[in-house]
Amino acid sequence: MGFLTVLKKMKQKEKEMRILMLGLDNAGKTTILKRFNGEPINTISPTLGFNIKTLEHRGFKLNMWDVGGQKSLRSYWRNYFECTDGLIWVVDSADKRRLEDCPNELHVLLKEERLSGATLLIFANKQDLPGACAVEELRDILELDKIKTHHWKIIRCSAVTGENLLDGIDWLINDIAARIFTLD
Amino acid sequence: MDIMDQKPNKLNILTKRELERQINLQKKKENKDLLSADTEKLGFFETIFAEKQNYIECLLNDSPNLPKSQLPDHFNLVSKEILTLQKYVAASTIFLRNYDLKRCQDILQELTAKAKDYEDEFLPKKKFGFKNKIKQRPSHKNLNGSKYDEVDAVTKPRITEINCGFFNRSNEMLTMANTDIFMKDISVEKLENLSTSIFAENCENCTLVIACQQLRLHNSKNIDIYLHVTSRAIMEDCKGIFVAPYNWKYEGIEDDFQNASLDLTVNNWRCIDDFNWLSEKHSPNWKEIDEKDRIKSWDDI
Repeated sequence: MGFLTVLKKMKQKEKEMRILMLGLDNAGKTTILKRFNGEPINTISPTLGFNIKTLEHRGFKLNMWDVGGQKSLRSYWRNYFECTDGLIWVVDSADKRRLEDCPNELHVLLKEERLSGATLLIFANKQDLPGACAVEELRDILELDKIKTHHWKIIRCSAVTGENLLDGIDWLINDIAARIFTLD
Repeated sequence: MDIMDQKPNKLNILTKRELERQINLQKKKENKDLLSADTEKLGFFETIFAEKQNYIECLLNDSPNLPKSQLPDHFNLVSKEILTLQKYVAASTIFLRNYDLKRCQDILQELTAKAKDYEDEFLPKKKFGFKNKIKQRPSHKNLNGSKYDEVDAVTKPRITEINCGFFNRSNEMLTMANTDIFMKDISVEKLENLSTSIFAENCENCTLVIACQQLRLHNSKNIDIYLHVTSRAIMEDCKGIFVAPYNWKYEGIEDDFQNASLDLTVNNWRCIDDFNWLSEKHSPNWKEIDEKDRIKSWDDI
C-alpha cells in the first residue's frame, strides 16, 4: 500500500473536504457562505481577514474558507492554499468594469503548485441583477477554456436568491469525491 | 600577626570582587537583553524602527546639499544604515506580526529605492554600463481630466440611464441621485444612495453624502463623507478621509430607508476598517469631523 493510498483512506474515513473561496472584493463570497449556512445576509461587511465554516452536506464535512478579497488582502491568499481540495472562484457578474481584473487574478492562482490538485468551480454570482454578464460571456472574459490543469466548471448563481448554489456545490463535491475518495 | 590580620581582609576583598563581578555580569546581561530582539516589545521595536527610518530619510534628504566629494561616503553610510535596519527587522521577526513585517519591508524597500534614485541622480556612475534604467512607475493616476467615480456594479452607460435626479429604489445595487453634478469637476458631489453596497473609487476633494448598507472606498483622498452605514465601511489606499454621521434630512427619508431595507436607527459610521492599517491604533488615514465643522444643512448646496 503506497503512501497515497494511505492518505486516501484517511480522508475517506472522515469524508472531509477543504474548500477555499476566493475572488475580488464584493464578489459575494461571504454572502454565499452565509447563505449556505442559513445565516442572515443583510449585515455582511467587507471581510477583513477570513471566515471559516464547517458544513455537513450529503454526508461530507466541508471546511469552507472564505478569505477577504480586497486588494491589500490578496497577497495573503497564499497562506490558505495548503491542502485545498476545491477552489471556488466567485465573480461579480454585474461589475463589468472590474471584470478585467478577474482573469489575471484567477490565472495567477491556477499556476500555484499547492492548488494544482484542486477542482475549480466558478460561481458567476449576482445573476439576479440587471445587466449581469451571461455565463458564456464570462467564460470568454475569464479565459476559462485555457485552463487545462484543473477540472473546472462555471455556473450561474445568485447568493441573494440562492439560485444554483447547491448545484454548484454538488458538482464540486462529486468531482472532488471522484478524485480523492472512491465514490460509493 | 600581620599575616593573620591580612587574611580576613583579603577574603573580604575577594568576596567584594566576586559580588561586583556578579553585579557587572547582571548589568551586562540586562543591557544585552534590552538590545536583543527576542525580548523586545512591539512598541519598542516600532519606535526604534521609526527613529532609524527617520534618520535615514534625513540623510537622504541631506544629500543634495553635500559637496560632491563627500557623496560616496554619504551613500555608503546610507546603505549601511539601511542594511542595519534590515538586519534589525530580520532579528525581530519572531514577535512581529505578518502585517507589521510586511509594512516594515515595504518601508525598507522604499528607502532602498529612494537611496538608489538619489545616488543615480547626484552621483552618476563614471563606469561603463548598460543603459537599462528601470522606469519609474507614475506615482498615481492623474484624475483631473476624467474624473471617474462609479457606484457599484455600474458601468457608465448605466449611470446615465438612471440619471433621474432622485432615488432609484427599484434596484438594490445601483442607486444614486443628483447625478447632474456627479462626475463633473466640481468639488462638491452629492451622492444620495440607498442601496446595499457602494463602491467609490478614485475620488478626490469631494463631499459625499451616503446612506448604504456597506461602503467601500478605494484610492481616494481628501474626502468628507456624511455616512449612514448599517453594516460597515471600509477603505483601501485612501488618505485624508473625514467622516461624520449622515445628517441630511428630507421629507420621505423614512420611506426611502424602508424601501432600501436600511435601518434608520443603526448607523455604524464610526466603524471604518482601513485595510492598509491592520493595527489596533487608529488609522492615520481617516478622522471624524469635529461637530462644529460639520455641514448642518444640505438644502442650500
